[in-house]
Amino acid sequence: MTRLRRILAFGLAVALAALLAWVMLPSSAFAQASDQNGRCLACHQRTDLGSTVVEGRATTLTIDTDAWGHSMHSRLDCTSCHLGFKAATHTPAETQGWLQTAKLDACANCHAREFTMYRGSFHGKLVMRAGSGAPACADCHGSHAILNVTTAQFRRSILDMCGRCHGGRSSTYLDMYHGKAFKLGDTKAAVCTDCHGAHKILPACDPASLVSKQNIGGTCAGCHPGANANFATYEVHIDPSSPRSSFVVWLFYATYVLLISVVFTFGAVHSVLYFYRGRKEGMYHRGRH
Amino acid sequence: MAGTEASLGRDARERRIPAGVTTPGSVRLEYKRFNAFHRWMHFFTMTSFTVLVFTGMPLKYKDTGWAQFSMDLIGGVQTAGILHRLAALVTVFYFVCELGYLAWYVIVRRGPLWGPGTITPGKKDWEDIKGMFRWFLGRGPHPKFDRFTYWEKFDFWSLAGGTVIIGATGFMMWFPVQTTKLLPGIFLNIAIVVHSSEALLAVGVIFIFVHFFSAHLKPGTFPMDKVIFDGSLPVGHYAEERPVEYERRVAAGTLEQVLVEPWEGAKGAVATVIWWAITAIALGGAFGFGVFLVWVTLHWIGVI
Repeated sequence: MTRLRRILAFGLAVALAALLAWVMLPSSAFAQASDQNGRCLACHQRTDLGSTVVEGRATTLTIDTDAWGHSMHSRLDCTSCHLGFKAATHTPAETQGWLQTAKLDACANCHAREFTMYRGSFHGKLVMRAGSGAPACADCHGSHAILNVTTAQFRRSILDMCGRCHGGRSSTYLDMYHGKAFKLGDTKAAVCTDCHGAHKILPACDPASLVSKQNIGGTCAGCHPGANANFATYEVHIDPSSPRSSFVVWLFYATYVLLISVVFTFGAVHSVLYFYRGRKEGMYHRGRH
Repeated sequence: MAGTEASLGRDARERRIPAGVTTPGSVRLEYKRFNAFHRWMHFFTMTSFTVLVFTGMPLKYKDTGWAQFSMDLIGGVQTAGILHRLAALVTVFYFVCELGYLAWYVIVRRGPLWGPGTITPGKKDWEDIKGMFRWFLGRGPHPKFDRFTYWEKFDFWSLAGGTVIIGATGFMMWFPVQTTKLLPGIFLNIAIVVHSSEALLAVGVIFIFVHFFSAHLKPGTFPMDKVIFDGSLPVGHYAEERPVEYERRVAAGTLEQVLVEPWEGAKGAVATVIWWAITAIALGGAFGFGVFLVWVTLHWIGVI
């Protein structure tokens, strides 16, 4: 009996320790990265560090260790992305071009396949042109808080991410099937990157594009087995309330707006008059008999 | 006017009224308006329609807080989609039953398809509409209605037509791959616009302007007309509400065919509780939809 109790107590202690370790993991994982990070954080964990201007916006120099600890990169060294940085007050020579390095070039060291696809994409070609505003890796994936792309949290962020530049396309997307479901929290519904691709995004006029005339049927069939070329002529980006978007669809929309207005107006007038006359005749008080 | 035991209708006999016990004095007979088939059809329509509205409307107003709240309450978009399709199958079921009834009505019973007493709109309905507006304004007597009023005919036919339109577009969206084997993809865009617009039209007609008003809020009906649930109503009420049909039956001597014993005792008590529950839900729904319409109108003209 005492033996059994001892085994039980030991088991419980192990379970508690495991639970504690699991709860602590996100922050402790950060500490597990090499000592080097500790030297960076000696300064960058301080809240009185002030800010620097990044892409025209004041950005704090303090690292959000919680967000970083939860990210996919929580076990990397700071210098894996901030290449060439030393543990001292950074010199101009050291920080030269740091933004492009951290947002773009350093990523290729581990993600060569994705980087090659991105390089050949519309965004990848445009990104080197000054002032193009084309997104680099970190503009979509984040910098310190990098998420697993299959998580609901990341998928929910995709529409706004693309919408920063392609606002008109994301609003028309929301008016049709995938968009409505996506908006109400269905992260399985197809969103921008599911049709357009993530790294190798190309304009529809490029035959290699996932949404080109040649490929779009196959792209649809990825989720809708048996989808043919006819299926792909369904318009994902349409504003039913605009005759310039699709005249035929607008015609149905406008007909219903007219029909609903007429029926509801007639119904409202009829009901109000009926109510008024019924009150006047005392029909609500008399009851039926 | 009550029938004698010898002339009781078939339904009264089915309810096992022992001969000799039933006399005009001991049982207050009622006018039977709807048979069990019609009552069950109404039940299926009511329940499936309600589920369809609550699982579908959030998608139409996806940007609102209440749409998100409703979807979360239902259990997410995927769950709502399953419930919506199940309710759609119930809709198909009652629609097929109604077609079967129509076939039986035409082939076996050889009932009239138009004219007095039928649900087909006719010239009298136009006269009744004009008559009602004259009465509303105090410039004429209340028109005398036949078995179905013009708003009941509108209610019925808008639902019948609406079911065809919304059913066809619904199945197009349920099976997009099969649909585009026959039709261009733009039909899927048209389908979503038609389906959601027709839904708003149907909700307005059913939840407030026609059905809820005439069955709950109308003078002489408030708070609820229970006849679609228990099938019969006091003869005097019917004579007042639908004098044309009543007088036709009296003149033809067929009134006794439709006289039945009302529900009483435990069955009647249970039915009463259910009626009040439905009344509460209906009033809540009508009120909610009224608020919604004010909101949608203000939103549309850009005030909020």
